[in-house]
Amino acid sequence: MTASATPCFATEGLTKRFPRVTALDHLTVAAGTGVTGLVGANGAGKSTLIKILLGLVPPTSGSASVLGLDTATQGLEIRRTVGYMPEHDCLPPDISATEFVVHMAQMSGLPRTAARERAADTLRHVGLDEERYRPMGGYSTGMRQRVKLAQALVHDPRLVFLDEPTNGLDPQGRDDMLALIRRVGTEFGISVLVTSHLLGELERVCDHVIVIDGGRLLRSSAIREFTRAEQTIAVEVEEGQRQLADRLTGGGETVAVQGRLLTVQVSPDDPGRTYDAVRDAVSDLGLSLLRLEQRRGRIEDVFKEPVA
Amino acid sequence: MTIEPTAVIHDIGYRHYDGVRLGRGRATLALGVQSLRGVFGLGRTIRAKIMPLLLAAIMLMPTVVSIGVMALAKQFVMPYSQYAVFMQAVIAVFLAAQAPYLVAPDLRFRVLPLYLSRPLTVTDYVVAKLAALTVALFCLMAIPITIEFVGEMLIDMPMPLHTGDFLGALGGTVLRAVLLAALGVALASFTPRRGLGVAVVIAFYMFTAAVSGLFYAVLASTGRDDVAPWALLLNPFFLVDAVQSSLFGTEPATGEGYPPGVASCLILLAVIALAVTGVLLRYRKAAS
Repeated sequence: MTASATPCFATEGLTKRFPRVTALDHLTVAAGTGVTGLVGANGAGKSTLIKILLGLVPPTSGSASVLGLDTATQGLEIRRTVGYMPEHDCLPPDISATEFVVHMAQMSGLPRTAARERAADTLRHVGLDEERYRPMGGYSTGMRQRVKLAQALVHDPRLVFLDEPTNGLDPQGRDDMLALIRRVGTEFGISVLVTSHLLGELERVCDHVIVIDGGRLLRSSAIREFTRAEQTIAVEVEEGQRQLADRLTGGGETVAVQGRLLTVQVSPDDPGRTYDAVRDAVSDLGLSLLRLEQRRGRIEDVFKEPVA
Repeated sequence: MTIEPTAVIHDIGYRHYDGVRLGRGRATLALGVQSLRGVFGLGRTIRAKIMPLLLAAIMLMPTVVSIGVMALAKQFVMPYSQYAVFMQAVIAVFLAAQAPYLVAPDLRFRVLPLYLSRPLTVTDYVVAKLAALTVALFCLMAIPITIEFVGEMLIDMPMPLHTGDFLGALGGTVLRAVLLAALGVALASFTPRRGLGVAVVIAFYMFTAAVSGLFYAVLASTGRDDVAPWALLLNPFFLVDAVQSSLFGTEPATGEGYPPGVASCLILLAVIALAVTGVLLRYRKAAS
């Protein structure tokens, strides 16, 4: 991934020590436009990094910039052009989502009429319909997360920080939220920094992933590099597994047998060849195909690799 | 037969905002106006409107009585400068009921980080909240005496208009609004629980009023007449009354006289400064 002219954010030797704990330890990292994932276990320093990037917490040492603005001196400018969705609950229960998002738009400097229009638009985009006129106290977790996202987007920022947006959601809600984040990054054209302690879900939406642990950088690279190494396809047939394996091996593919599954290594130079070979082999041998799926190397593997 | 659609909804996708973006000052003003409306329950539920509007109505009752007496008996019974001291319990209840509304929910439901992630500073937030409560208290206290003054002008009284007393009372009302708003927000902002905030503010008023009255009585009965007036200043309403009578020359509401005016003014300033500093420190801590 090539670094763009002004990175979305960049840190240089960023360190933050609290009286009892070091949250960030000489973190030097940068991210370009698009969707960037920030992964780390709880307490890895993700939220602290976001607060420093918002210019709300001064670092102990080192520096950071957001959209080319210095977090130490240009915090107000930064907060004018970014949005923030906190990890914790932040919605007063007795007012409606519409009123709340209009108010938050005004707090970002939008005039009242523009705030109303933007709030209606944004709530529609995050998928909140008639219920947006009801007090938020009666909302489900999924709806609450959508309102939190809407208030971060309502002033049309150039970059949003989303702190654990899938927290507390059921699998369906999680998928919806991830799809929404992907849309924000692509269709809306707003760069996203999204944190999660679940590695698997970020690889579905991110262009770039930063992994931190204990306040230190573990890895920062484009998502392609995370997943390219171990491209395999899993094949399951009703009978004739051995025949298929022999046929594929004869054709020059690397095949491994894992129980009822065959895993075929995808050729890194010519991925199409592997897929064609599997298709032709199954068809020629007249086998009943039960399963055919892509297997990718998982971001989890980062933690298994020794730290470079 | 098919019905031709007369209107079609097009999904035009995400639109960027390229209109005006106002500065910090306007955002602070918007927060202040929203808070001020909220103090009187405007834009909130019916339940939230009952208390402030009821208290505002009670504040008008002496005005109605006073205008009635002026019209029928041609007598001036309710000096403007003593209105607030006379109605201090009602004002204190209003402060206790509404100050926690301004600050507690933002702390309890953790809305504060959302404000601070925008181009507002902690100081802007505190200024907006203090200003909103100050304006609300000023309206609560100034509207009844203004109506009474209009009444006095309209009724043909045998004596001259009490214009000096009215203007002095308005000046005192400004000071009282600032002091009470600072005290109310300072006390209420220390707890995220609204009910507790209400209790703390009302307890503070009752405590100062009781201690002030008790010390005054004890000191006066033991012949310490030189020290006794100082005890009155413990009650915020008498403190402002003392400043009002020294700055604007109104009659003291107690009839007993106060310590020298300069001392009262300095105490008033010190209490306001202390309360505002307390609020700012509280929010600096909450923000980090």
